[in-house]
Amino acid sequence: MSEMPVPPSPETNVADSGFHFRPRRMFAAFDEVFDEDRFFLILSVFIGIFSGLAVVCFRLAIDWTHLALLGPLPPHNWRLFVVPAAAGLVVAILVLHLFPTIRGSGVNQTKAALYIFNGYIPFRTAIGKFLCAALAIGAGHSLGPEDPSLQIGASLASALGRQLKLSREKLRLMAPVGAAAGLAAAFNAPISAVLFVIEEVIGRWSAGILGSVVLSAVASVVVERWFLGSEPLFSIPITTFKRPAELLAYVVLGIVGGVAAVVFAKIIAFFRPPLKALPRWTQYLQPAVAGLLIGLIGYFGAPQVMGAGYDFIDQAMHGQYAWRLFAVLAALKIVATSLSFVSGTPGGMFAPTLFVGAMLGGAVGGIERIFFPHLTASNGTYVLVGMGVLFAGFLRAPMTSVFMVLEVSGNYQIIVPVMVANVFAYVVSRSLQPVPIFDLLTRQDGLVLPSLEEEREEAILRVEDAMLPPPAIILSAADYIDAAARRVEDSTEPSFPVRLQPSGWSIVTRELILRRMKEGKGEHSLGSLISAQPLPSLFPDLPLDAALRFVQTYPMIPVVNRANPQKLEGVISSQSVFAKYGGPGRQG
Amino acid sequence: MWELFSKLVPRSTVVVLLALTAAAVAGFVVVSHLVNRFNANQQSRGRKFYALGLADLNSGNPEGAVEELRAALSCDRSNTQYQLTLGRALRDTGRLDEAQSYLESLWQRTPEDGTVNLALARVAARRGSLDDALRYYHNAMYGVWTSAPDENRRKARLELIEFLLQKDAYTQAQSELMALAASLPPDPTLELRTAELLAQAQDYADALAEYEKVLRRDRNNAAAMAGAGEVAFRAGRYRTAQRYLQSAVNANPQDPKSRNLLASTNQILEADPFVRRISDAERDRRIATAFASAGKRLTACAQQKGENLTPSGGSSAESALGQLQSRWLDTKRQLPRLRFPGEVDVPDAIMDVVFQIEQETASECGEPQGPDEALLLISRNREGADR
Repeated sequence: MSEMPVPPSPETNVADSGFHFRPRRMFAAFDEVFDEDRFFLILSVFIGIFSGLAVVCFRLAIDWTHLALLGPLPPHNWRLFVVPAAAGLVVAILVLHLFPTIRGSGVNQTKAALYIFNGYIPFRTAIGKFLCAALAIGAGHSLGPEDPSLQIGASLASALGRQLKLSREKLRLMAPVGAAAGLAAAFNAPISAVLFVIEEVIGRWSAGILGSVVLSAVASVVVERWFLGSEPLFSIPITTFKRPAELLAYVVLGIVGGVAAVVFAKIIAFFRPPLKALPRWTQYLQPAVAGLLIGLIGYFGAPQVMGAGYDFIDQAMHGQYAWRLFAVLAALKIVATSLSFVSGTPGGMFAPTLFVGAMLGGAVGGIERIFFPHLTASNGTYVLVGMGVLFAGFLRAPMTSVFMVLEVSGNYQIIVPVMVANVFAYVVSRSLQPVPIFDLLTRQDGLVLPSLEEEREEAILRVEDAMLPPPAIILSAADYIDAAARRVEDSTEPSFPVRLQPSGWSIVTRELILRRMKEGKGEHSLGSLISAQPLPSLFPDLPLDAALRFVQTYPMIPVVNRANPQKLEGVISSQSVFAKYGGPGRQG
Repeated sequence: MWELFSKLVPRSTVVVLLALTAAAVAGFVVVSHLVNRFNANQQSRGRKFYALGLADLNSGNPEGAVEELRAALSCDRSNTQYQLTLGRALRDTGRLDEAQSYLESLWQRTPEDGTVNLALARVAARRGSLDDALRYYHNAMYGVWTSAPDENRRKARLELIEFLLQKDAYTQAQSELMALAASLPPDPTLELRTAELLAQAQDYADALAEYEKVLRRDRNNAAAMAGAGEVAFRAGRYRTAQRYLQSAVNANPQDPKSRNLLASTNQILEADPFVRRISDAERDRRIATAFASAGKRLTACAQQKGENLTPSGGSSAESALGQLQSRWLDTKRQLPRLRFPGEVDVPDAIMDVVFQIEQETASECGEPQGPDEALLLISRNREGADR
């Protein structure tokens, strides 16, 4: 698994670390104020600032490289294919000899750092990713700067966390916090970055880390805007949505986008493993050959597919191309990006995904307008919606895809078409390719990481699934023991739930009731037999995992109604829980 | 370095935060320097591309300009001027959708900007979209201009008027011209232009007033004299026209248009039996001359059309020219009654036939020349007056 960092010994780095305060008298008061949680929140802001600064430099480096190697206008000569090929060779040498952990986009590596390596990402990764991705993208490889920015942010955060000797728990969280900051600065879109990190990096909704992720994302965007201005990535033309009937046009776009996303994912998934398995010497040549082929695509008429392609997305939004050219560019960009990515060239998938989506949107919109000239939406609207469509279908981040389009366009009129098209793209893509691209790549690397997509697929077991019906005999703490004994003496049940006054539940065994009866304590109340501490109660909708904490301690746990806790919905026992987990009726 | 720092300074939250702040400030300084250098380079490169694009555009090569302006814009994405000029170049290449799209992006950011609205108005005008053009021209007229706002607003209104005249939207053009005339500075060139546009909009009375305004300030302005003469002629005010046209010809004897118009005016004034200050005998003579001329014109037109108007010629009694011939013959019998003092309706009745013949023959055989042209203009003028 060459793309993943070699994990350090946890003991040496983080195991016993904790955040060591060595207070001197003058700082003692401050140190008491800043417990680790508060300090972590403040640290998130600094991570955002540093990530923002790094991403600004990264973008400058890409632009500088591009201008130095290819110039501001695409050249129509040999440079167009020699430059990406030569850059590919240099990148390959750097990757193989100095920065072995920087292949690919960086999203999976960041996720692996969170779940496998206790948040550890070598600082060298940030340097390597910065240099190699800037060189590759600037030289025309069909990759984007967003995922590398994400990894650079995560790597910086991880390094900072290690230097500050944060606890293992906090150190683990540094990577996603930095990732959100890096992505937010790269996209100039804080909401999308936060959502993407939650959907793809953390892989679950976690309120605990949300505050830090938001703070770092906002801080990095502020830094980015400070230096590069608050202009959105694209200058968006007027986009409109006037007639609900036109949603059908976006449905078609969603379906086409879903299919295209699957084709894109399958090409990468098909070619990546055999190319990785080739002898090591070929690894030097793969990025160079990819660069050469991409350069030839550019040389023979489609320089738009080279690099991140934002300028061309911008032009597409302003109606520069006809639908045929849109379609050709979408297809060629899929080919070019697949070449770059499967060759192991470091760089991101976001920008190419947006490019392909934009061109596909333009093509579908153009064709639809030929058949239905009364459609009121401009081609720019289809281009914009198309970007979100492929984002939803290919990266399988449906929430991010919607907010990304909104943040990029700043236009809420378009939200309904975006949501409709994205949902169709997502559903089509998921039904044709159940495993999302990032999970697929992770599995190809031999890792299994959690994802929201998996969670969505999983049927969650709940308490109600293992709940048994309420016992026939339910006692009350106010009952006399002799009355209770009469009710339970013929029962085969070993224990019975007892309703406490004024609220709560407890449990009493048949054997105890009968023994006290024999001891002549029949006129005592049942409450005298049971502990003052009520049993823990469960609710039917809770995950079944919640029951596991109690079923070994108590023979029976009451499951009560949320509206009326005195009403017993059922009971749960260790047998019923384990039967559900291991039984034949198990779902998922 | 960090290790050294850690050894020297006690590990305290405050110290850590101070160190992080210092690092952030240092980072800001370094990145500021880099960004400023990069931006300066990019802006310089953008200016070069812009200059090339502008040169191409001004030399009539909008296709070449588009590429260069795109490059300029990629160097300095927030530059409004580049975007505007790119929009203009795209408009000139006929890529109106693209031009509109770029300009609308700008408009979204600065909807009150006069320059942007004017550029959008020009795209709409090029499309021939009257509603959009009106909207954007009006936005431009009432929008914000960073320099010479009055002049730019006036230019925008003049453009709108020219566009409206192209679209034959005379009523809208006249109302814009009224507003323009009311806000003109004392500049004879502008007043002359306004008068010309008023004439084009067929508002001859106001055009004449505008020319007279120029002449009050500069009584020797030959262009104003010629213009005033022409609009007076179009308005049917032949005496006024004669006066101005005579002055115009005197001031500029090489002005053929004024000479021709003057000749026509003189002919009309000599042929018109309804002008004031002529004797009854002169009026009767003019009517008789006009009647004879109309008869000849009718015969000539019939010949041109291959119709024989003689009673044995077999001309269809239903044909318009044939009916007119019958009326002309009937009216001819009334000519002697012109001399009777009590026959006040006879002159009008005769001239009605004359005018009808001139109008019908103009429609059937084309515009006449010489005396018939004069009669036709008199008839049209009277028709206008009747209305």
